[in-house]
Amino acid sequence: MAISTEPEAALSVLPRADGSAKYSHAGYTVTASVNGPIEAQRRDEHAYEAVVDVIVRPAAGAGGTRERHLESILQSSLSQIILIKNFPRSLIQIVLQIESTPENDYVNTKLVQASLNFPIIPALLQTAVLALLSAAVPMRATATASVVAVVPEGQTKRMVVDPSPRDLDIAKSVHVLAFTSHDELLLAESEGDFTVKEWDDVYETAQRICCRPATTAETDMAIDDEAAGPDMRHFLRSTMETKIAADLHWK
Amino acid sequence: MAATEQPIVLPGDAIDPSLIPTHKKQPLRLGPGLRHIPPSYIVPTVAGQLVTDQKKNSMWIEYNSTRYIPSANDLVIGQVQRSATDLYYVNLSPYTSNAMLPHLAFEGATKKTRPQLAAGALVYARVTLANRHMDAELECVSATTGKAEGLGPLVGGMAFDVSLGLARRLLMARSREAGGVEVLELLGAEGLAFETAVGRNGRVWVSSDSAKTIVLVGRALRETDEGDLGVEKQRKLVKKLIRGMR
Repeated sequence: MAISTEPEAALSVLPRADGSAKYSHAGYTVTASVNGPIEAQRRDEHAYEAVVDVIVRPAAGAGGTRERHLESILQSSLSQIILIKNFPRSLIQIVLQIESTPENDYVNTKLVQASLNFPIIPALLQTAVLALLSAAVPMRATATASVVAVVPEGQTKRMVVDPSPRDLDIAKSVHVLAFTSHDELLLAESEGDFTVKEWDDVYETAQRICCRPATTAETDMAIDDEAAGPDMRHFLRSTMETKIAADLHWK
Repeated sequence: MAATEQPIVLPGDAIDPSLIPTHKKQPLRLGPGLRHIPPSYIVPTVAGQLVTDQKKNSMWIEYNSTRYIPSANDLVIGQVQRSATDLYYVNLSPYTSNAMLPHLAFEGATKKTRPQLAAGALVYARVTLANRHMDAELECVSATTGKAEGLGPLVGGMAFDVSLGLARRLLMARSREAGGVEVLELLGAEGLAFETAVGRNGRVWVSSDSAKTIVLVGRALRETDEGDLGVEKQRKLVKKLIRGMR
């Protein structure tokens, strides 16, 4: 099973939407569209800030409780980085369509409806941020996210970044962390049994992936150790730079 | 990141203080895509290229998008939705709340003689008031001179949707040199007779005696926009379209 660990993204893939992005990483592929700011419905509108509406659509079937839970997590995180106070009484609609999820080679995969689906949150959040950037929705900062699993290995435990379905099956705990571009913690969700020490290690690992300073990204790439994982912030920047260069080809 | 002259910035990036223009007399002017956090932080809110103008002591972010957010003094093309007792409700972009255009904001309009606009009519107007807490207000007459100055109802023709970036380039004083769009001049040079009005909200109105010309000009604009065509490719496109018409 060869799932590319390098994230890939394409921007403005949907011509009719204000902004859109397609993102794939660690076996997950998500397409997002962003429309806004548009007029909110009377019953939804807020007098002082924009309503952020997140809709998650699963790869197959209709959305259920699991999707509503993901939506509520994403909604509260994205409202923090969008400048919602700039657009009172309006609506910013984000639709996330999950296209594919990694398959478990060891277990016959069946959709387990009741379980949480933490490992997909980084892909969803990353796609939403890219689509928001493509729609030029004013934001306070950008965000990067990562998922870390604590997997037992004999007597010790090991941190696995972007765990495979196999790792997730045996993992003691799974953590999702997101950081803004100002190195602030934006989102922290955990599942399973873990100690405070473990959480601290997870935090450090996720921060290393999400918050690598931009200045060292190019120069230190070669000497980075293998375990460091992908550099999400550098990825986000280079994706946007390509898009902006294409938009401003006339300059 | 190397401190280039016009760096590409993402929302929340720190701006190198050396790039912020300084001027002895004029106050610093911030354009689209930037916000000022008192006392002294200037932070980008969108992804784009930071552009600074030392002479005018201004800075802004150059970017492309499709959703228009009204701002004062923009020239826009709106579509009349309905008329109230003393104003028209005008739509500037799909799914947004309507802007207001008073019945008396036309050249020479009085209570008795005012333009009668039906739902669906197009108007070329200037944004007079843009405030996040209120709906935008428009006018089709210059408040200082009382003249229309090219604004007013757009009769006949057809409106085409383009990206806000292309609309901005078309509105530049020297759109060929500074904006890199030559397609309209080229079509004119080929002997087509048409008139256009460009709205900052991403609408271009094209009018001509022949319907064929209107469609051709509209298609040329849409293809220039969608294909990100440079001047050379615009020339090729115009040649191809003209050949197809004859």
